Amino acid sequence: MRSGLPSARLVFIAVALWAASTGVIPLATGRDPVVNGTIRGRVELRQPPADLAPRPHVGDVSMPRAHDPTDRRRSVVYLETAPRAAFDRRDEPRAKLDQRNEAFVPHVLAIVAGTTVDFPNNDKTYHNVFSLSRARPFDLGRYAVGHSKSVKFDSPGIVRVFCDIHSHMSAFILVFAHRHFAVTDDEGRYRIDNVPPGSYTVMAWNESAHTESRRIVVPDSGGDVEANFALGRQ
Amino acid sequence: MCRVSLLVITSITSAAWVLGPPAAVAQPLPAGPVSAFDGRLSVGAEVVATIGDKDNVAFFNYTDYEHNTLRMFRVALSAAWRPVARVAVVGEVRSEDLNLVRPYAAYIRVRPWIKHAFDVQVGQIPPSFGAYGRRGYQGSDNPLIGYPLAYQYLTSLRADAAPATVANLLVMRGRGWRASYPIGSQEPEPGVPLISAFRWDTGVQAHWEGRTIDVTGSVTTGTLADPRMSDNNGGKQVSTRLAYRPTAGLILGASAARGEFFDRNVTQALSESRGSHAQTALGADVEYSRGYWLLRSELVWSRWNVPFASPATTIDVDALGAWVEARYRVTPRIVVSGRADRLGFSRLDVGPNLTPTWDANVTRLEADVGYYIQRNLVARFAVQHNDRDGGRVRTRTYFSGQLGYWF
Repeated sequence: MRSGLPSARLVFIAVALWAASTGVIPLATGRDPVVNGTIRGRVELRQPPADLAPRPHVGDVSMPRAHDPTDRRRSVVYLETAPRAAFDRRDEPRAKLDQRNEAFVPHVLAIVAGTTVDFPNNDKTYHNVFSLSRARPFDLGRYAVGHSKSVKFDSPGIVRVFCDIHSHMSAFILVFAHRHFAVTDDEGRYRIDNVPPGSYTVMAWNESAHTESRRIVVPDSGGDVEANFALGRQ
Repeated sequence: MCRVSLLVITSITSAAWVLGPPAAVAQPLPAGPVSAFDGRLSVGAEVVATIGDKDNVAFFNYTDYEHNTLRMFRVALSAAWRPVARVAVVGEVRSEDLNLVRPYAAYIRVRPWIKHAFDVQVGQIPPSFGAYGRRGYQGSDNPLIGYPLAYQYLTSLRADAAPATVANLLVMRGRGWRASYPIGSQEPEPGVPLISAFRWDTGVQAHWEGRTIDVTGSVTTGTLADPRMSDNNGGKQVSTRLAYRPTAGLILGASAARGEFFDRNVTQALSESRGSHAQTALGADVEYSRGYWLLRSELVWSRWNVPFASPATTIDVDALGAWVEARYRVTPRIVVSGRADRLGFSRLDVGPNLTPTWDANVTRLEADVGYYIQRNLVARFAVQHNDRDGGRVRTRTYFSGQLGYWF
């Protein structure tokens, strides 16, 4: 029994060090503990963009197939600059940009650099996903239903994605160098959690409007900081 | 406060962009069609500028509107208005080389049963026959600058004029442009291609689409070679195409058409009525695409029942056009394409050991490189070589460049 005690003590010390280093148990520093905050708010689009219509093909001999509408109301809110820790890469994240009913789902995808995005074809027809964007040009070629191809996005930037066969299919992939960003929900709301105290410029992007910015400060005590945006012409 | 300052200092304030360059909110040029009325109206456009060698001696690339396809400026405006789910009004107007704006398509499409893929189109409609006629109409889906011979090269036949003798017909061999004959209109005018890629016919079309099979049929005023807005001979053309899609990326098509070809001015000028003077055509087409490859091929056989005055007889003259083209995407921006094309004509028995073809056979090879400046703005460079068995100029190579933009 006694021979097991040193091992138990070592395990306890190791667990305590891990907990302290990861923030589960704060270490005593003699100063007030710093609490990360949340930036939240709403992005309003003054002129909500219309759905993307197919190019009028006079050579068609039948009605165009019905396709899912493209949700162009989604905006992306992000910090223009971020604490150094936010740039750390800890894993190999994956994301998915689906092809369904002649639409990319989601229409706006925000990822951190280093993310691999899968492009499954879950439609009833061929697609040819490609992008000519400087940040990450690629062409996946034509592939059939039930197949998937993937692309790794290593560089920050905006990647506009198209289908070579269906002119109305498009999507945006916003690749960030850090983790402090969020895509708005159906109501235009967003929430960026776990932002360390500091002074930041918050940017709001939408494909149909000029990007706007706000200066905000996340206090030492953390809490919620609100930043609302109204994009587009008044 | 001290901690806040520390965090500000450690922020990457010197790294200008975490997202890359500023968000591009607007393309330099429109990226998609303009839509209005909640998407019920969509308007697209195409501007294609092609510059290349002159072709006013050999006439390998002239169209029935007398424009050189390798040296043309074309502006097209197309629109589709769908006021209700089962009705659409579709149209396109074009100007070539800044000439008069012409309607190229104008029809109403009706889907009687909204849940069944059966449509009826009335007006100036897309051709039922073949595959290229519908696809190649909009330049963005033509992977090369040049057109297939069967759809563009002008034979020596005309709908509004006819040769009196076989010798009259043979004199026009290999011109590739204007022909003149003693019967009917005696003005020199362009001959007709096997199928016109630059004009559409007027009539009624029905289309049914199943899971793997499509059927299209139409009744129109003109013919494949001479599509018309108004009737010129009291006859109608019937054409049909059956398409089969056995697997994703593969389309097999078979087509047939028959219609009265010659203008009534020609048939009335003959000493006696000789019944039908029709254009009859059969076609087969295939398209296969996978990965970065797109392969297409088409075969068109056409027969005209040509009336001759001396001796008073009708002779069948045939033409066979066949081509295969391939497109390969080398990089997201660079595309290479090639087409091998042949147009052959049947022989006439004009004397002992003398059986010339009624027009001069043509072989065409074309290779293109395209560079996508943006998704809907492409620059192309092409070299096209033509060989012909007759005519003043028998062989010629053309270099051309093209800038095409559409939305």
